[in-house]
Amino acid sequence: MIKIVKRDQPSRAIFFLTPILAIFLTLVAGGLIFYILGFKPFEALKFFFIVPIADKYGFSELLLKATPLCLIAIGLSFCFKSNNWNIGAEGQLTFGAIVSGGVALLFYEQEGFYILPIVILAGAIGGMLYASIPAILKTYFNTNEILVSLMLVYVSKLILDYLVVGPWSNPEGFNFPETRQFSDSARLPLLFEGLRIHAGIFLALAAVVISWFVFYKTYLGFQMKVSGFSLKTAKYAGYKGKKMIILVFLISGACAGLAGVGEITGPIGQLHREVSPDYGFTAIIVAFLGRLHPVGIIFASLVVAITYLGAETAQIFMQIPKYTGQVFQGMILFFLLASDYLLFFKFKFISSKK
Amino acid sequence: MNTNLKISNVTKIYPGCVANDNVSLEFNSGKIYALLGENGAGKSTLVKILSGVIIPDEGKIYLNENNLKLNSPLDAKKNDIGMVFQHFNLFETLSVFENLIIDSDEERESLREKIDSIMRKYNFSIDLDIPVLNLSAGQKQKVEIIRCLIRNPKVLIMDEPTSVLTEQETSELFLSLKKFSEEGILIIYITHKLKEVMELCDEVAVMRRGKLVSVSEIKNENIESLANKMVGQNLKTIKKKKEKTSSDQLINIINLNFISEDPFETNLSDINFSVNRGECLGIAGISGNGQSELFQVLSGEIISDKNSIEFNKNYIGDLNPQERREYLMAFSPEDRLEQAAIPQMAIFENVALNNFKSSNFFNNGLINENKIKEHSKKIISDFNVNTDNIELKSQFLSGGNLQKLIIGRELITSPDLLICFNPTWGLDVGAINYIHETLIKINEQNKSIILISTDTDELLKLSDKISVIHKGKLSKIMNADEVTSEKLGILMGGGN
Repeated sequence: MIKIVKRDQPSRAIFFLTPILAIFLTLVAGGLIFYILGFKPFEALKFFFIVPIADKYGFSELLLKATPLCLIAIGLSFCFKSNNWNIGAEGQLTFGAIVSGGVALLFYEQEGFYILPIVILAGAIGGMLYASIPAILKTYFNTNEILVSLMLVYVSKLILDYLVVGPWSNPEGFNFPETRQFSDSARLPLLFEGLRIHAGIFLALAAVVISWFVFYKTYLGFQMKVSGFSLKTAKYAGYKGKKMIILVFLISGACAGLAGVGEITGPIGQLHREVSPDYGFTAIIVAFLGRLHPVGIIFASLVVAITYLGAETAQIFMQIPKYTGQVFQGMILFFLLASDYLLFFKFKFISSKK
Repeated sequence: MNTNLKISNVTKIYPGCVANDNVSLEFNSGKIYALLGENGAGKSTLVKILSGVIIPDEGKIYLNENNLKLNSPLDAKKNDIGMVFQHFNLFETLSVFENLIIDSDEERESLREKIDSIMRKYNFSIDLDIPVLNLSAGQKQKVEIIRCLIRNPKVLIMDEPTSVLTEQETSELFLSLKKFSEEGILIIYITHKLKEVMELCDEVAVMRRGKLVSVSEIKNENIESLANKMVGQNLKTIKKKKEKTSSDQLINIINLNFISEDPFETNLSDINFSVNRGECLGIAGISGNGQSELFQVLSGEIISDKNSIEFNKNYIGDLNPQERREYLMAFSPEDRLEQAAIPQMAIFENVALNNFKSSNFFNNGLINENKIKEHSKKIISDFNVNTDNIELKSQFLSGGNLQKLIIGRELITSPDLLICFNPTWGLDVGAINYIHETLIKINEQNKSIILISTDTDELLKLSDKISVIHKGKLSKIMNADEVTSEKLGILMGGGN
């Protein structure tokens, strides 16, 4: 007989093993779905997870997709660790892209080493401004940050839509909903000839290192950790709770804004309607899959990035919609949450004699 | 008819702790039984087994020779076992009557008659049609008791029933329990208060660390003998030398008010008091009368008017707790696991929660782990915290050790004033003694204490002056040696 028993304490080994278990279960369930759709499961999974990264170009694409996911997830980990549920990173990304894109357009047809830093900075500020809205509403008016940050995503997308169709649309662009191409000085440099991977990856890596340092080595990180465990304790210790909430939102917004900058000054090179294939939402999965730990987030962003690539190959070779990628992302989160049950409970086998 | 309840070889094991170790007991109606033991002795587990909340790993329960299968609280009810828990299980917004009939399928009319006759019989006077939230704690408990009586129970179990009651309500409860017993209801009374056992019960079973240590008749026992059985060792009694304290004023609270936006909090109105150096001011009261709000206002978790708190000749009403610590105040909140400490964090990290500038725990925004650890080791040895591993998560400390760590953390900075709120709540007698000794010692060093507590005995033992808080208002401040627990009881209930 199998009995479910509560653990004395959450298991630390299980804490790091469940993400792997979740990925494994996702593969099993994914294979099953492919089988039901009439494909050979192993072949389909190969198209999805191995073929896309089998060559140099594929690997570059993997890093290209993982970069924004990692950057945003690192930012979100600041919010989530302190119990602030910012789920509007997609909006902060979009608004960061709008602000930095606007600045890049100001320097249209100009050259200069100073342009790129200004554009990058503008993106970070844009993201911060946008994230400050739910933060201020939460701290001073007790609104729910989940609703506010989520709703603002759609607002930012409509603003972008308006700008690329209207005032910012390319005068020589035959009414396509897009802006002019940015000048080369406003573009992130490519790392290798012929591959799309760009210098934005260094922003992501810097974010990883900085967040590790802040979390584990600074007073600020300590205060965030305490506030995350218990706001009552934070209050008792005398930490400035409101400032902390605003700060984590600003950090998170800056990261999302930078991810937006990376997209438009990297592979895209202009503003158009779709600056992000929902990186801001997918990064929530990445943050949790990586257990809100900087190193975990690196691995998680690589795993989730494959689902984007796999969906594209699957569309080309198997004629199934690329939204299969989102199915896989959903399944990863689902199985992760389900296997978290094992953190607190274990199975005990008992002989049914007596 | 005689009722016989037998517990036979009951064992319940939790991970890391044997809550009940082969316990066998027998009860007969006509007597009131006390089940006595410290927190964690296993008495709550045992009564939860009797009421079907917990299923034992081994052992059997017999009622009048019938083997009972108690898999849920409903089974216990069906077998005429009634239970009144320490914390009330009532719907605050429903009326008394609705609460009483909620788990019954009898007709409303006949139930109403039945309830009326029970109330007449036992002299209970409660308005059945007002919402429960308007009742006092004693009345709420009566509602719980009536809910059991409706089912004509053979057994009535009371789990620490007096923890929320005033002295007067307690004596009323005792009268009712004696009446029930005379009518043939078997009563099992769970407590750790020795005086109540002596006053109320006929027989006493003492539990310690999951084991039954003795069963005896009350007439053969006295308070000391029971205390020693309960703790398992001879306890020294602590007494404070109440000398004349200085007239050097340390803290002065002037017309302090607090109006909460939260309807479940208590407003404080016109709080005025002062504490001199070397003095302990006790604040008594039934929980929920504004103690928590008063603590927060004094600690700075709730900020008030700058001039409402004068400390050491500075006005500090508008400062937060960390800023107040710099003026040499220290705070020990009521809730150890949710406020005073973070169970998931290591001992040394919990020590860093009391951060004051001269400690150098954090330099230029960076954590100075060595400094914190050094400091933590000192606290552990100075305050007898029973561990040598400061990397241990604080959730693995027992309640007593955790409280020593918290008090130690607050006192090691040698503050002028310690404000503590129920510092010994839920602790075993050994730890309580240690905390009491520590508090007496700091008074002797000419430091002051504000002790907010719901434990009247503790207050009478430690305080030089006592005031009572009732509905957010303080009574006048009395000298502790002029006060009796009866007088406090009257003030706590809102009388004069």
